[in-house]
Amino acid sequence: MVYWRIICKSYRRNLQYRLSHVINNVASSIFGLVFIAIWTGVLSGKQVYGPYDVKTMGYYIAICQSVLWMTTFLSPGLNVQIGVRSGAVSLDMIKPVHYLWYMLSQEFGRLLYNACYRSVPIGLLLGLAVGFFFPSQPFTYFWFILSLLLGTYIGMLLFYLAGISSFWTTEIRWVHLILLSLIFGLGGQMIPIDLMPGMIGKVTPYLPFSAMIYYPVMTLLELAPPYGMLVQAGWALVLTAVALLVTNMARRKLEIQGG
Amino acid sequence: MFALYRKLIAASIRSQMQYKINFVTSAATTGMIMVLDFIILSAILYRFHDVVGWNIYEVGMLYGISSASVSLYRLFAPEINDFEKYIVQGELDQLLIRPVSPLLLLLTRNLDLSRVGGVVQGVSVLVISLSGLASEGKSIMALVLFSPIAILSGGLIYFSIGLATAGVAFWTHQMKDMLTFTIYAPANASNYPIGLYPNWLKWLFFSAIPIAYINYLPMLTLLGKGGEWFYPILTPVGAAIAFYFARMLWNVGIRHYHSTGS
Repeated sequence: MVYWRIICKSYRRNLQYRLSHVINNVASSIFGLVFIAIWTGVLSGKQVYGPYDVKTMGYYIAICQSVLWMTTFLSPGLNVQIGVRSGAVSLDMIKPVHYLWYMLSQEFGRLLYNACYRSVPIGLLLGLAVGFFFPSQPFTYFWFILSLLLGTYIGMLLFYLAGISSFWTTEIRWVHLILLSLIFGLGGQMIPIDLMPGMIGKVTPYLPFSAMIYYPVMTLLELAPPYGMLVQAGWALVLTAVALLVTNMARRKLEIQGG
Repeated sequence: MFALYRKLIAASIRSQMQYKINFVTSAATTGMIMVLDFIILSAILYRFHDVVGWNIYEVGMLYGISSASVSLYRLFAPEINDFEKYIVQGELDQLLIRPVSPLLLLLTRNLDLSRVGGVVQGVSVLVISLSGLASEGKSIMALVLFSPIAILSGGLIYFSIGLATAGVAFWTHQMKDMLTFTIYAPANASNYPIGLYPNWLKWLFFSAIPIAYINYLPMLTLLGKGGEWFYPILTPVGAAIAFYFARMLWNVGIRHYHSTGS
């Protein structure tokens, strides 16, 4: 199938950066170690209610840091804006594949690469620091992969929407930064979102950002609420519809930057 | 040399002020994004009260100083942080043929004015923390006087680390990945008490990547957490030493430079 071939090609293209990425993983793991140290400092010597003791928070942060490389550290705007700037987007749009799935497949190939050369090594490195977590139910692995894929898909769609906004604005720097900080702030990367105070704690579980980090991690830890995957699936559907709609609008709006 | 710096910087600011709205929105967004970061920290400390005995205002002092310092560095030295392109694309050649030191040219080429937002955010966190500490009945006079020294020294320390990383890039021909290790992760770590971290990280933050001198060490003394009287003095002294070594590394690097010839 054509999309699968695009995925494979994009995966192979990334392989040439292997060595530099493997080194970079050590640096990325330091972020994880810092977060783990903070939580250890916060929780040690305190009576904690709920599931979050020092050990569980260690697992939580470690899994977060490796999940991030699948669901959150995507190419800004999925590089849609680069094509818009150069005018190459017009060639992509006349290809006999749908533009949305074409861009998504390319990114997914990169993310498969990330899974092998970023997520797994970082998970192993941080596992050495906090210990390795193995779910008690074998089925959990299946649910985790499903949840992770849904999170990845939602992430790609959000980044795609940021990218395609460049059809109207030609640059996405700020849209991208705002999106990224919403994901980091409300996705559960530093703090499990059910620990957030007040209104924020009530609303964030239903936003798409928690679908990208919080639910996949909690699914693996066997702590996810039963409606978690429904929130993810719901956002996947809604965002697919929006992305298809906006792609059509963009197609109609297409202006080529000469040259 | 200082007059020349002023002239070149003024030109850089003038050219960027052609896009005033862009400056305002970008500075505001940068500041806002960083505020969100602090809100998360507050959420944690709101629920759990303290982290190894530091309450939210005390951590806020660390956070504000570090945040303002790193923004100061990113404001004044974006081309140092982005130095990789000069080596990889051979842009450095253009700077070397001018009669002014290449470092001065790099520092005046561009100011990243959007980072003003980060400085404002850091100072705001400081003001909130200071007033919080005052309401707890602590004397804040020394903290108020010391904060500007800490921010300036911190800016110089981050700059030195950036410059040293750029110096190493003369050999490695890449620095983007290294910056995660030398600037981004340490800057994140210095928002919290360094005492939290495992020993090898602590050691690193007191030596090769000397971020502990920016805020943690002086605050131990100034917040009455068992520091020696001279710890605050180590902040500017540490900055000067860091700058001296970074400058040396940079000079060796630039002598070593071979153009890509492209």
